[in-house]
Amino acid sequence: MNRDEDTTEYQGRSRAHRPLAHRDRLPTSPNRTRDASASRSRSRSGRSRTRSTSPRSDEDEQQRRYRSRSSTSSRESRSRTSSRSRSRSYSRSITRSRSPRSRSRTRSRSRSSSIRDRSRSESPSRFQGRRPSKSHAEQLRPNYRPRLELSGHTAAISQVRISPDGKWIASASADGSVKIWDATTGNNLDTLIGHMAGVSCLAWAPDSNTLATGSDDKAIRLWDRVTASPAHACGDESNRGQGPREYIRGGSQLARTARGGRTGMGPLLGHHNYVYCLAFSPKGNILASGSYDEAVFLWDVRAGRLMRSLPAHSDPVSGIGFCCDGTLVVSCSTDGLIRIWDTSTGQCLRTLVHEDNPAVTNVCFSPNGRFVLAFNLDNSIRLWDYVSGTVKKTYQGHKNSGFSIGGGFGVVIDNKDTQDDYRHGNMGKPFVVSASEDGDIVMWDVVTKQIVQRIEKAHEGVCFWVDVNGDTMVSSGQDCTIKVYKNVRRKKHDRRLKFDKPNGISAIDGTNGHGNGRGIEINEAMGDDDL
Amino acid sequence: MNLLLAEDYLLQDYPEHITNTIRSGHSTCVRFNRTGDFLASGRVDGTVVIWDLETMGVARKLRGHSKNITSLSWSRCGRYLLSACQGWKAILWDLQDGSKYCEVRFRAPVYGAELHPMHHHQFAAALFEEQPMLVDVKESAQGANPVEVRHILPSVEKRSDDGADTPTKEKHAKEDARHMTTAIVYTATGEHLLAGTTKGRLNIIDATTHKIIYSEKIAGGVITTLRLTESGKELLVNAQDRTIRTFKVPDLTSADLDPDTIQIPLEHKFQDLVNRLSWNHAAFSSTGEYVAASTFNNHELYIWERGHGSLVRMLEGPKEEQGVIEWHPHKPLLAACGLETGRINIWSVTSPQRWSALAPDFVEVEENVEYIEKEDEFDIHPHEEIQKRRLDAEDEDVDVLGGGGAGGGDVAPFRMPVLFNLGESDSEEEFVNVGLGTLRRKSPDDQDDGAPASEGRPPAKKTVTQRTRTRKR
Repeated sequence: MNRDEDTTEYQGRSRAHRPLAHRDRLPTSPNRTRDASASRSRSRSGRSRTRSTSPRSDEDEQQRRYRSRSSTSSRESRSRTSSRSRSRSYSRSITRSRSPRSRSRTRSRSRSSSIRDRSRSESPSRFQGRRPSKSHAEQLRPNYRPRLELSGHTAAISQVRISPDGKWIASASADGSVKIWDATTGNNLDTLIGHMAGVSCLAWAPDSNTLATGSDDKAIRLWDRVTASPAHACGDESNRGQGPREYIRGGSQLARTARGGRTGMGPLLGHHNYVYCLAFSPKGNILASGSYDEAVFLWDVRAGRLMRSLPAHSDPVSGIGFCCDGTLVVSCSTDGLIRIWDTSTGQCLRTLVHEDNPAVTNVCFSPNGRFVLAFNLDNSIRLWDYVSGTVKKTYQGHKNSGFSIGGGFGVVIDNKDTQDDYRHGNMGKPFVVSASEDGDIVMWDVVTKQIVQRIEKAHEGVCFWVDVNGDTMVSSGQDCTIKVYKNVRRKKHDRRLKFDKPNGISAIDGTNGHGNGRGIEINEAMGDDDL
Repeated sequence: MNLLLAEDYLLQDYPEHITNTIRSGHSTCVRFNRTGDFLASGRVDGTVVIWDLETMGVARKLRGHSKNITSLSWSRCGRYLLSACQGWKAILWDLQDGSKYCEVRFRAPVYGAELHPMHHHQFAAALFEEQPMLVDVKESAQGANPVEVRHILPSVEKRSDDGADTPTKEKHAKEDARHMTTAIVYTATGEHLLAGTTKGRLNIIDATTHKIIYSEKIAGGVITTLRLTESGKELLVNAQDRTIRTFKVPDLTSADLDPDTIQIPLEHKFQDLVNRLSWNHAAFSSTGEYVAASTFNNHELYIWERGHGSLVRMLEGPKEEQGVIEWHPHKPLLAACGLETGRINIWSVTSPQRWSALAPDFVEVEENVEYIEKEDEFDIHPHEEIQKRRLDAEDEDVDVLGGGGAGGGDVAPFRMPVLFNLGESDSEEEFVNVGLGTLRRKSPDDQDDGAPASEGRPPAKKTVTQRTRTRKR
């Protein structure tokens, strides 16, 4: 490939993807005092301007090019420009001005969904030949039904994750707060306030008792789930901070009020820019964070100490993950690279790049740690064998071209455990799940790449994040809500029956009038897919 | 999992350079747990510190002893830790919550105590000027504290001198009374104990009958260290006759074991004949392939290869004599305690960054390779076609769940809780953050909790030499 061509394409992509940042930045926290945010934005302005203003001219040009490509994405990119030009201003006007736009988007979705329907009807036919015997596929297909709708956040929810023990749900929102929910009842147990800007990411410690959150205020906070207070005892933050002086002072002042007079519960400071992704090691002793400052940091969780800083990428680090034994860290960036690091030495062991070099916005290891799942901004998710450095599978059918959306692996467990010819024994059948920018949630079979379930219109606007833990699935979106789904195992024969009574399990909360209707839609769609 | 991506540098299986120095107070002994992710260290002030080797940070501190810790022993599951101190005490810690599972007081300082290799309900202790003891920890009913049952183990074989006259008997009794056990370890199955004595004898003691079934003089001086490999087939003996010996241990588990036919053949003798060095402590490598030893009055660590018995490496470190030395259970990594500073020095291998890992389209080659262009290399295909071909090629069967060490099927392993309340005073950083990006080495007067405690007592160097002296006696 021509080298020059390569670089231009690279730039174009990295600009085009930028809206992945804006999901956290658009909405504002209503309960934050005006002057507090103003002072903060002033203190940061000198720094942020260098990053955001200078390349704007060619960015606009880039966006023009981008717009010409597709109409739907252009709307998003325009909205993104408006938010970016104001970079960190938190005036309400943005929020208000956004509401009509989001409505217009819902209207436009009817059009896009018809396109999607077509693509969906195509995709099974392509894989028809490779489909395994139908009875297996049917029995071991995910069948997630809406159960709860959780509302309470006042801005878009960038990430939502189920705790490893499956009992809790944590959500990080652009309104600067983090909420903990009971996964079975849907009660909002706690609201963690302390971040001074939108929260982009969160991670559960493996013991489900600690929660780490990363925010646009460049800080990472650790929270105790039980007390809902900062979990850290790592000394006063002025000692450890490496950021600008006044920022620390202002920060600790605010933080002190947040932590209710307790001392020594400072956040983890060190990143020079927005913290964008977080992951706990399987033992819970290391926290990996990726940031807009293009570095990956490994933190000693116990001491709250920066253990290792990896000069990882040449663009914001957009995703990070640990493998199951904790020896490898994977990070990805919008520069299109996926890098695998040795946790103990901090060395890069492998770099994965796709020929087309699409931006990577999220990455995670497969449950056995042998593969890496990468979410690309060219509407595809790729499964990499990182040892050989090749793409093993490409999953398509969702929409992802502008935002950093999330997903991961899930497993449907066979309730009969008797299929001898089934290759995985009773380990269950894995699937890949992802959010989609049209508000859907899409699930693929890992091997056949075929869509096994699609939950349509899970969210108004973009669905940002999906997380699966056993039979529970949770999703969050731009519409400030969280939805909880439950996998209902299908039986071979009463499948039709279930479609007739979609509300038999537990209807979606009454807050949204469309809830039930939507449920029916999902089921019908699945029925078509099956046939 | 990182081994999948590892390349030839891992063929190096003994440590090369000092890579880390960690410090909490003045450490006198260290021990790795079975999986090798934690290192326990015992301090002069009686505190036991658990280090997380991944973060090189303190994972837990256990306070309960008041004197120099002399030995540490992990349970198989990694949840219990037995520590013994010169203050006549051994404590079995539950690391789940850091509580004392059991505390046993002896009537003498403890040389070393070792936990049963299979469970944590029994341990053996070698005591100073006392007969060794086997302690059974019995779980009592209704969650009360476990009770311990002690059994005195013999150090000397029963003499069959029934026919001898009284003076001989008395003489023998006197001799036997001065014959002490200085080191004791379990065999791999835990059915037998291997004990080394002050007179250089190796005893095999049946752990159920508490009888010596075999005894032989194997060394010319006091046996200070006994170590077995993970498989339990090789025995390492350090004695005060300036020689480290390795032995083959026969299988003692067979049902028809005849004590008279047991043979423990000597395999190698490691000594420095030129410098006449004496060895402070010795350890097997993870597989038993290497033997490492710290030297008395010398800074170097010696590593021998056990197969040929040849010296492969002398590790240089800080200018300090090293005491207790431990080899990581599966990595080429050595930990040793500095005698003067009490720091724990860690030697390991450092691999260079492979630059080809950073750019996937680059390959590191040894010499020039002529590039052969593929026939279709510069063919131009429409983008859609390439894409379609690519997708069609993805017909491989992938397994994202099984294999790859993900399962680890057996019992749920113990997971060390991650503590946040270790406290500010516990950060044993040697560097103090004084400003933006500037660090200062901690000066002796602003040391934290560990140091003041050790100031009150004689320097550790003295303590250790005292110990060796008493053994010589």
